[in-house]
Amino acid sequence: MTQNESYSRPIPLLAIVLVSFDANFHIFLASHYAHHWFNPWNEKWFAGFSQTTYPPLTHQWIALVSNVAGLKMGYMLVQLVGVLLLPVGVFRFARIWVDDRASSYAALGSIFLGALAFLIYQAGQLATITSAALYLNALPYFYDWSAQGSGRALVKGVAVSWAAAAAHHVTLIFGTVLFAGPVLWVICKDALDGRTKGSVAASVSRAVLFAVLVGVGVGVVLFPYWMTLIQHPIHQIPIPHDSRANFLLNSITAINYFVIPYGALILALPFIVIRGASVRRLRPLLFGFWLTLIFGLGGTTPLPRWLLGRAFEVLTFERFTFWATLMAMPIVGLLAVELLDRFRAKAAVALSLAAVATVGAALAWLTANPYRPAATVNVNPVIAFLNRDGHDAYRYLTLGFGSELAQVSTYTNASSVDGDYNSARLLPEMTHYGSAQLTNAKFYGSAGMASLRAMLEHANRYGLKYVFVHDSYYEPLLTFVGWRKTETFGNGEITAWSKDDVPPAHRIDSDAIPTAWMGLLWGTLPIGVSVLAIFLVILLPARQPARKAIESQREISEPARDYVA
Amino acid sequence: MKRTLPIVILIVAVSVVLMFLGLSTGRSAGTVGIASGVALPGFSTSAPNPEQALNNFLLDVQRRNWDRAFSSVERTSDTLNEQAFIQEWVGSNGGLRSFSSLERFDTRPLHATNSEAQMRARLHWSTPVGPVEDVRDFHLAHRGDTWKVIWDETPKPNVPAQIVPVNYLRWDLVTGTAGEDWGAHNVDAPNVRIVSMNAVDSAEGAVVMGEVVNEDTIPAFVNVNATLVDGSGSAIDDESSFDKILHVLLPKQVTPYRIDFPHVSLSKVKNVRMDVKATLVPASSDPVIGVMNQKLETDAQGHSVLHGELLNESGQTVNIPHVIASFYDNSGKVVWVSDGYVEQALVPQSTESFAVEIPQSVAGKVQNFHVVVNQYSLQKS
Repeated sequence: MTQNESYSRPIPLLAIVLVSFDANFHIFLASHYAHHWFNPWNEKWFAGFSQTTYPPLTHQWIALVSNVAGLKMGYMLVQLVGVLLLPVGVFRFARIWVDDRASSYAALGSIFLGALAFLIYQAGQLATITSAALYLNALPYFYDWSAQGSGRALVKGVAVSWAAAAAHHVTLIFGTVLFAGPVLWVICKDALDGRTKGSVAASVSRAVLFAVLVGVGVGVVLFPYWMTLIQHPIHQIPIPHDSRANFLLNSITAINYFVIPYGALILALPFIVIRGASVRRLRPLLFGFWLTLIFGLGGTTPLPRWLLGRAFEVLTFERFTFWATLMAMPIVGLLAVELLDRFRAKAAVALSLAAVATVGAALAWLTANPYRPAATVNVNPVIAFLNRDGHDAYRYLTLGFGSELAQVSTYTNASSVDGDYNSARLLPEMTHYGSAQLTNAKFYGSAGMASLRAMLEHANRYGLKYVFVHDSYYEPLLTFVGWRKTETFGNGEITAWSKDDVPPAHRIDSDAIPTAWMGLLWGTLPIGVSVLAIFLVILLPARQPARKAIESQREISEPARDYVA
Repeated sequence: MKRTLPIVILIVAVSVVLMFLGLSTGRSAGTVGIASGVALPGFSTSAPNPEQALNNFLLDVQRRNWDRAFSSVERTSDTLNEQAFIQEWVGSNGGLRSFSSLERFDTRPLHATNSEAQMRARLHWSTPVGPVEDVRDFHLAHRGDTWKVIWDETPKPNVPAQIVPVNYLRWDLVTGTAGEDWGAHNVDAPNVRIVSMNAVDSAEGAVVMGEVVNEDTIPAFVNVNATLVDGSGSAIDDESSFDKILHVLLPKQVTPYRIDFPHVSLSKVKNVRMDVKATLVPASSDPVIGVMNQKLETDAQGHSVLHGELLNESGQTVNIPHVIASFYDNSGKVVWVSDGYVEQALVPQSTESFAVEIPQSVAGKVQNFHVVVNQYSLQKS
């Protein structure tokens, strides 16, 4: 990777994804794999942290692609693959519940989901999207194997599930309940109706075997992750997140986490509930959708807090809204079919407008909402400063850089005491306070500033000599605690502050450093299962699609006549 | 089909009940420092009693919904306009309040009748230099079916323009190369000496304090570090004076310092290793801030507090004054060092009051005190 890459300008249309909150974070993790594929210990953040704390699949793919196209293009291409897999997954998932025509509309509609646009362009949740897409693709195999006993489906379903977990474990854990639960329910219903191979017990047994194989595989593929989690459970003070707020009490939060992600789907909610309740086969899906929707409402209802316990304070809930919209799509597909059959061209125009308006609103919200990612800062002078004259012998801190912190970290040789991944933090100056990144300390109020003060107090301990400020809010504190402004970059946009008596940084000992064999596992198994899944899907085409359950749904919608997507 | 209606009703009913329960336990949250909207229509709470009225008012202030907040107060004079109202809350002249966000508040009634109420609010502000607590009393009156906050704060008068001559000393630093790092100049470090040191146990842990003097004829940038050593010679902890010191010392100037060691008991400490680092820096004695009318008092809650006033004698605004006070016993030993930030900016030729607290355990020993003032000025930053 060359320094020059940071100056390159990718295709503007795709490049919008690069200003999302987490884009630089994913690129940063990928950059480490690009340089140290088998060593997950990354010293550039938190004075050292293990990347085994985050499933690596998407980052490793970016790292691979970066050798040809660079990190930023690698990120965009992997994101693109995830997005392309999503409608395929929605189509296949929808076919469990509805016919091909409704499924095709569901798949088409999934591209225009506000929640998807929100995650791509605002949140930058690459792993969540990719994992959800893979998981949706695995579920039809789960159905085919459990209902029909198809060995090919078992092999492919298990491999794709492993790949989904290697992309994002949280999706698989919650997906088991929220997505696979309704599918298992419908398998049992089909078995009772005699539409499966063998009895209910046989179907359930096959489902259990599938779950066991997936569970064991995920345990092995992500073994270093589980070991790290057991060794260092997340005991840090909960960090506030607006997705856990009560949306009824805060209009901005309600718009950000409900209106924008659902968009025109809000108008379809009555249809989803009524149709989901009136058709027996759709009831499991309706229940799964409703539960996911309630979770996506964060602290609006107490249910997530009751069910999740302390995990409620660790998770963020925008992903549940994304999953809820995905689960709604099969029923929305039915709605599209009925509207098109009844109103023809008028319905086509209305549905198109609704879809475009949903995506358009999500994109417009990027510039209108108060939580928008900060305007891009030109961090190249900071990178150049840290990479010259031995400045990288010391650690540094950025203040007011937002997600640009990860960009600085990607291209500099120096190490920071800060970082943009909460679960990897071990330094007490950060874990003892209810705040996230030091660079955003002021947004966490007193807790954030207390954490920053604690870190600045121990500057000598960590070799923290340089502080780069992009927000004058922090200047009084730095002045009073003994830092002095030494340089100015970008016409005063960024200032560099230095402390005189700080010794050079030394390696901080940690029991979280992964062993060599864990690094080997981490560098081979996650990427290996994804390659395996690709080969199995290509080499083992389905002998017959899972039609039995679907063909029985003729009463749900009439056969396609016009406007087949 | 016969199950459709019951299922629909069940889903809707459970959702509504859960949302209702969520209203009693949920948080409106909102990221600190970002205006974070209002409750959705139908979900905002009315003000049937003074407590709720004050809570609603402070919530609007917290979210910076100024129009709503201003519309919920009753003005005692038409000269109290919305601009003055906002300035009262967000500060002016780049003072500490201008950087602050109201993080949370607690309210309690002091006195209430059917038509009037006196409420006390403890306001917790988040500021760049740490949390600041402010106690403020509010007068509320019953108007129609609601309670209103009576707003009678008079805005500060504008100071007329004036010329202030400046003739204070200033030391500049001329370096050979522009690219040199700060602090790496090829000149001898200023001669700075720790003149006293005292280690005590406090409620939060061990505290090391004392005074440092710049004995040189040039200004110095000073940091004091201390390492606690146990009986076996091993270091227990090392900390620095952080913001409890005047970092820039003019020639012959003395500053108190305090170094806190949270959760460390002095009984385990055998030795304290002190280390003072000094670097030559450019400095100016301007702005000069006078400390006046200092007196030790006991406040309503029984705490010993040093009160006084700061006078800005120069021609530039001091945005954030920082007061550091050292307290001595009858033998002249430093028994405590306290500090406090002043929330309002110190405009030229004006005064602002300050207060720093002394722990009860040392209040009885204090015979004398000395105050120095550190400052942050936007013009100089």
